[in-house]
Amino acid sequence: MRGIRIVILVAFAALVLSPLTAAAQVPSSPAAKASIEKELSQTPAAPQEVKPETQSAAPAPAVKPAKKVPEKRTETIVPAFSGIKERTAVFVFYVWLWLSIVVLIYFLRLWVKESDRVYHAKYYEPDESPRKANPMPPTLGD
Amino acid sequence: MRIDNAYFTRRKFLNSILGGWLGTLAVTFVSPIVKFVWPPYKEPDEVKLAFADFAGMKPGEVKGFPWGAKPGLLKRAEDGSFIAFIGVCSHLDCNVSWMADKKKFFCACHEGWYDENGMNIAGPPPKPLRRLETSVEGEDFFVRKPGAGAKA
Amino acid sequence: MKIDMKKVGAWFDDRLALTPIFKYMTKKEVPQHEHSIWYYTGSSILLFLAIQIVTGIMLALYYKPTLEGANDSVGRIMTDLPLGWLVRSIHSWSATFMIAFVLTHLLAIWFTKSYRKPREATWMTGMMLLVVSMVFGFTGYLLPWDDLSLSATKVGTNIPNAIPVVGKWVTQFLRGGDDVTGDTLTRFFLFHVCILPLVIFAILAVHILLVQKEGMSVPLEAEVKKKKVPALPFWPNFILREVMIWLVLLGTLLTVALVFAPTLGPSADMMAPAPAGVKPEWYFLFLFQTLKIFPGNMGPVTGEFVAVVLILVAIVAIFFLPFIDTKPEGKKGRIINYLGVLGLIYAIVFSIWSLL
Ligand code: HEM
Ligand code: FES
Repeated sequence: MRGIRIVILVAFAALVLSPLTAAAQVPSSPAAKASIEKELSQTPAAPQEVKPETQSAAPAPAVKPAKKVPEKRTETIVPAFSGIKERTAVFVFYVWLWLSIVVLIYFLRLWVKESDRVYHAKYYEPDESPRKANPMPPTLGD
Repeated sequence: MRIDNAYFTRRKFLNSILGGWLGTLAVTFVSPIVKFVWPPYKEPDEVKLAFADFAGMKPGEVKGFPWGAKPGLLKRAEDGSFIAFIGVCSHLDCNVSWMADKKKFFCACHEGWYDENGMNIAGPPPKPLRRLETSVEGEDFFVRKPGAGAKA
Repeated sequence: MKIDMKKVGAWFDDRLALTPIFKYMTKKEVPQHEHSIWYYTGSSILLFLAIQIVTGIMLALYYKPTLEGANDSVGRIMTDLPLGWLVRSIHSWSATFMIAFVLTHLLAIWFTKSYRKPREATWMTGMMLLVVSMVFGFTGYLLPWDDLSLSATKVGTNIPNAIPVVGKWVTQFLRGGDDVTGDTLTRFFLFHVCILPLVIFAILAVHILLVQKEGMSVPLEAEVKKKKVPALPFWPNFILREVMIWLVLLGTLLTVALVFAPTLGPSADMMAPAPAGVKPEWYFLFLFQTLKIFPGNMGPVTGEFVAVVLILVAIVAIFFLPFIDTKPEGKKGRIINYLGVLGLIYAIVFSIWSLL
């Protein structure tokens, strides 16, 4: 019985999944590709432009600026500062960053030491603490 | 509150320093991100075109040119001088078109009309089309924002 | 009208259950012992993931996932946008740091045997996170679309081909056709910025939930001897230590990214021969080398097939490690530790070999 159920399940799953697999895969045979290309080339004409009623004549053909075709880049881009201003700004930023890290770690260590001490003194354990009513530990700006 | 053997009054002081420093550090992180997300891409102050492309225009004719990412419209006046506009409606930013037969600029978005000098004459546009200055310098044809000044 | 901030705070507290969560964090205890340092690897990964998300979104604002646009758009990010090259460098380096920490996390758990009962599911979700992180790196590597990224992707997506029947289908799914083309790029981008983020968040949520459910593991030895291990509260004692580590890692990452920013080659030419020195990202090197040493044909099957099968078996075995290592404190447990060392040496030696 069990075997039959599994067979049916697998067959059903295969049935459900088969269109998905077809969709996820781009047809690779030349014939399939050709048929898709044919389909694409037969796209319906673009919808007619809707013209406002007040307009008696068609607007002048859109005056389009010629599009520049950018040349293909052949050399490797090497990262660089855009100028002395950017270089200085980045330098100052990194000094400030490392200074901050040192200073913040100094303060955090104080905080850690204090938290450990308070914890080991069982300050926040209601049974043993003089502060029974509020078992919350220290927070920033208590 | 202050109890024996605890640094609680000191803590408040330390916490403010810590918080303040962290906040300042956070701001210095955010500012380069903000600069990246809002990069300084602005409309150009001037564009350089080849005069040869426009020299043959007849009086009353209008031709387009790229003003950064906006369409510029160049009109040759009856006296042979050039008038340049930014072809963007002063109402809600649609691109306008030149109606040669009516000698008017038309904005299809909400049916706004401008006369041939770019003055708003009908429909919702609140202001005239923006004007640009032109100058021929040898082979080059410059279009500039008013007041941008010529580069000698 | 005056707004009573206390009341507003209480409203949020009530709706979002902040107090219980907070109380939970103060009750949660982190054991303190000689291996405690490895408890910090998990949160370090989170730091790098957060950095990937921020810098990834920044890059995606200007990146164009098309054949014509991809390489140029990365070039534009590097040259035209304020500090764009640094943003790209941070994204690329943070990926490296993240994978390095994922691997460290995994090895630490392997050697401390924290995967043992009741944490098997935590280990298995962790393995999934490793795979997802590596797929993140693999899909991201193609996006700049230069010669190196194209060749590496060709090699990588060709590997499933070695498996009969299903392999071809997998390769075609990965590539969106028989070859690596613009469609592959679009697909990889979609995976990189949409599907994988969703997947990683889902798995991560389960992973972290399981960690909370089971609490932090204590060393095997202490557990066997029923010794009590001293512990510290998660909040604030442990998290403050974590913040210190984050600060140092952040500073290190930003400095490395500044000094060793990646370059960008010209747009890939699909018709050009592969450039010299095609290499995948460093975390794929040992697999790359493994594939290389197998001969073309081994009896009735190809060498690649054997290699792929062996690698798959290894991955599956590692995935089910908690069920293989049923006696962590016994002899079997020790053998598994030696296997871990062996695997590590293998990966290091093969990675170096592939660079020679
Ligand atoms: C979830 C948020 C993420 C987003 C939105 C994102 C987005 C992007 C984008 C747009 C690029 C292309 C730009 C470039 O190549 O420089 C890229 C590249 C890359 N990404 Fe991500 N990414 C994310 C997460 C990750 C993660 C978690 C990893 C690895 C663990 C990763 C690894 C990479 C790599 C290795 C590159 C190639 C970098 C290069 O050489 O340029 N990304 N990412
Ligand atoms: S945008 Fe031109 S009329 Fe409204």
